[in-house]
Amino acid sequence: MSYSERDTVPLNQSSQSDIDEIENLINYSVQSGPATVLPARPPSPPRASIPVSSSPFIASNLPPPPQKPASVPAAPPPPSNQNRNANVGTNGQQSGMTGFGSPPNTLTEPVWDTVKRDLSRIVSNLKLVVFPNPFREDPGKALRDWDLWGPFFFIVFLGLTLSWSASVKKSEVFAVAFALLATGAIILTLNVLLLGGHIIFFQSLSLLGYCLFPLDVGALICMLKDNVILKIVVVCVTLAWSSWAAYPFISMAVNPRRKALALYPVLLMYVSVGFLIIAIN
Amino acid sequence: MYYLCLYSYITVVFCVCVQPPGENYANPRICFFHVLFKAGALAFYILSALFFDSFVIIFVVTVLLSALDFWVVKNVSGRILVGLRWWNEIDDNGESVWKFECLDQESLARMNKKDSWLFWWTLYLTAVVWIFFGIFSLIRFQADYLLVVGVCLTLSVANIVGFTKCRKDAKKQIQAFASQTIANRFQSTLQSAFSVV
Repeated sequence: MSYSERDTVPLNQSSQSDIDEIENLINYSVQSGPATVLPARPPSPPRASIPVSSSPFIASNLPPPPQKPASVPAAPPPPSNQNRNANVGTNGQQSGMTGFGSPPNTLTEPVWDTVKRDLSRIVSNLKLVVFPNPFREDPGKALRDWDLWGPFFFIVFLGLTLSWSASVKKSEVFAVAFALLATGAIILTLNVLLLGGHIIFFQSLSLLGYCLFPLDVGALICMLKDNVILKIVVVCVTLAWSSWAAYPFISMAVNPRRKALALYPVLLMYVSVGFLIIAIN
Repeated sequence: MYYLCLYSYITVVFCVCVQPPGENYANPRICFFHVLFKAGALAFYILSALFFDSFVIIFVVTVLLSALDFWVVKNVSGRILVGLRWWNEIDDNGESVWKFECLDQESLARMNKKDSWLFWWTLYLTAVVWIFFGIFSLIRFQADYLLVVGVCLTLSVANIVGFTKCRKDAKKQIQAFASQTIANRFQSTLQSAFSVV
């Protein structure tokens, strides 16, 4: 709101003027000995123009005279139209979560770097979850950099594919598919948490979304070829792939005696999506 | 539908008339993009019913614009307009940690007032408008439109919560830093006073 900056700036300036006074006391006492007395408080210059430094208050000289305030330091290039087109064209959903870099680096990096970093995170997460790799034994490490953009894109894509394959009631198919998958993911995560499992909410949502990738592929194939036998085969294969992808993460997260309780709903959800894919005509 | 258009018109007029003091925008292009996707999502949602028959297109485009807006606000305009950023990390113990970071005080104090005014106002306003539309679709018993509004609202609220926490964190840091520095100053003053004597 409009008070946002006024709250901080007066605090800054009043404390700044106090600090100014103290600083001058130190300077004068160091330079000219105890005999002199500071006659009056010197006017403190507006702090907004002080250049950035790691220890702004420990200055041996008085601060430099006020300069015309420049724009934000290291202002990265604003997103260009080309950026937007590239993002929309590749259908890459950008990740919202970043996890590394010291504060100056991530706060002042150019926009294109952020986009590239997020896109590469989606790809790496996908590879970790869906394809065979050595990290599958340790789920916590595998999906450390979770993001919800990959899952979001996969759910929307699946909904679109199903809706496109449907000859009637396209809107309802899409809405049902989206709602089913989204709420299903949330409920499954809650299920794991309620069974006493150790999994982080968003990590699990992310995982369940990424495991939809094989079903996406299956739905795409089914949309292109309308043969029932082929559909059944493709759906079975991709279903098995999805379940295989989700299995280690869920089973690691819960007590071994409750593995089946946690896994069964996940398989159920994927099977129902598989049926939806087969049954659409 | 007429009322929707009327309300949106009133909102836009309000935004244009209620201006903050003084300076110009420091980052006009970022401000533009910050507002663009929000306004685009809202406008598409309102106007699409007039042109498109298909709910799927409305859903996908609105949610896509909303998601793009979420990304832009979180990664670009939050950084540049108000110098704040938030994210989530999973540490070595497997615990999830929410991180909030801000620029140091000088840069924060140097932020353009008009930029940050625009940032915060549009952030809150968008959420309010989505709540409004949600109530509308609830009244009309349109569950699928409620779904759209729900998703867009979730994205807006997530950003609001993240940045508000970030700002509170930043204020706490400023206060802590200022008081600590004053304490240090007093201490060294005392030390130098005693040493000189």
